[in-house]
Amino acid sequence: PLTPMTPMTPVTPASESSGIVPQLQNIVSTVNLACKLDLKNIALHARNAEYNPKRFAAVIMRIREPRTTALIFSSGKMVCTGAKSEEQSRLAARKYARVVQKLGFPAKFLDFKIQNMVGSCDVRFPIRLEGYEPELFPGLIYRMVKPRIVLLIFVSGKVVLTGAKERSEIYEAFENIYPILKGFKKAS
Amino acid sequence: GDRVIDVGSEWRTFSNDKATKDPSRVGDTQNPLLSDGDLSTMIGKGTGAASFDEFGNSKYQNRRTMSSSDRAMVNAFKEITNMADRINLPRNIVDRTNNLFKQVYEQKSLKGRSNDAIASACLYIACRQEGVPRTFKEICAVSRISKKEIGRCFKLILKALETSVDLITTGDFMSRFCSNLGLPKQVQMAATHIARKAVELDLVPGRSPISVAAAAIYMASQASAEKRTQKEIGDIAGVADVTIRQSYRLIYPRAPDLFPADFKFDTPVDKLPQL
Repeated sequence: PLTPMTPMTPVTPASESSGIVPQLQNIVSTVNLACKLDLKNIALHARNAEYNPKRFAAVIMRIREPRTTALIFSSGKMVCTGAKSEEQSRLAARKYARVVQKLGFPAKFLDFKIQNMVGSCDVRFPIRLEGYEPELFPGLIYRMVKPRIVLLIFVSGKVVLTGAKERSEIYEAFENIYPILKGFKKAS
Repeated sequence: GDRVIDVGSEWRTFSNDKATKDPSRVGDTQNPLLSDGDLSTMIGKGTGAASFDEFGNSKYQNRRTMSSSDRAMVNAFKEITNMADRINLPRNIVDRTNNLFKQVYEQKSLKGRSNDAIASACLYIACRQEGVPRTFKEICAVSRISKKEIGRCFKLILKALETSVDLITTGDFMSRFCSNLGLPKQVQMAATHIARKAVELDLVPGRSPISVAAAAIYMASQASAEKRTQKEIGDIAGVADVTIRQSYRLIYPRAPDLFPADFKFDTPVDKLPQL
């Protein structure tokens, strides 16, 4: 008996892989340290911390490795930005939590969640953009429905993808847009 | 023959004595396209002694608001006319703006936004549709609304009315910028040619057409007897002089190919400033 090998997903000739992988540039994550914090105390004792209560109600702390910035609120909640991977974001958040712990607060590490991921890549050909307003923004803002990702597409061929909660969404969005972009390659 | 009712304002009688007031018996011009009829009336200021009460105040001082449902719209039309006046826009653009505003207003999809912002955005769209676009910065100059808000309303209105507008080109602004700078027709035509060629040869990908136009004007003026500085051009076009420099650097290498064939050089191409 013949068992034909049918592929799980239909392979159409147009959807050959682009061979380009978007690079992650920024990850934004949040975590709950689960204890009330005295921000003035933290700002005074921690290195690389700034706190202007009149301007913003959180301590802004930075660490060099991984190079990230954290916003620490008196409620005990924290936002960690600037990491280039999910693991780095988690590691950085843990480091901040340890700093806070060392200052005497009973910090925990609850509900760590990645809120946003930003990736970028280059399709290596110029793109013919239509319906963009050069006076307002030099690129096209494309809101993809599935996955729900916003892509910023520029004439140079560089593409920025944002709004993802998972790495796979960035990759999927780029694979979706690549064939469309090829159709709009600028004729030189 | 057919008798058509003239809905314009009443013809004035030009009598010798200008002292007499000109009583209009039929009210203001009807604006049926816009204010939904406008058949309401107001109580006018009294003239005789009987119209003043004991303190000297006039009785019936309340001029009832006319057509209150469209009061906001009438106000917006006034503001639109004011804005258009400041930059000397012709009546056809103002009419188009009013029409756009009415459509947006009736649709109510942008109801939350400031009317002035919507009016400014309508003005911007009308200029575009009439083929004489004004930059956002030029509209900003006559409106109290920020460029960001006008831009937001602009996108929302295009969506609400399901219209689109043509992309702006460098040529759209040439005649206005050049005449503001006092440049002769030859220079203007040269600048137009330079900008068009620069875009055709794709020397300036990703640059705003305004910046490219400004750089082209700079190149053309520097090659002619009527030289203008980057700062002067930047002031008129609303672009920073560094921006002009950036675009100029991109077109400078191909300068000889960009000038029109019949251009009379006051300063030859190889003596053009190199920034």
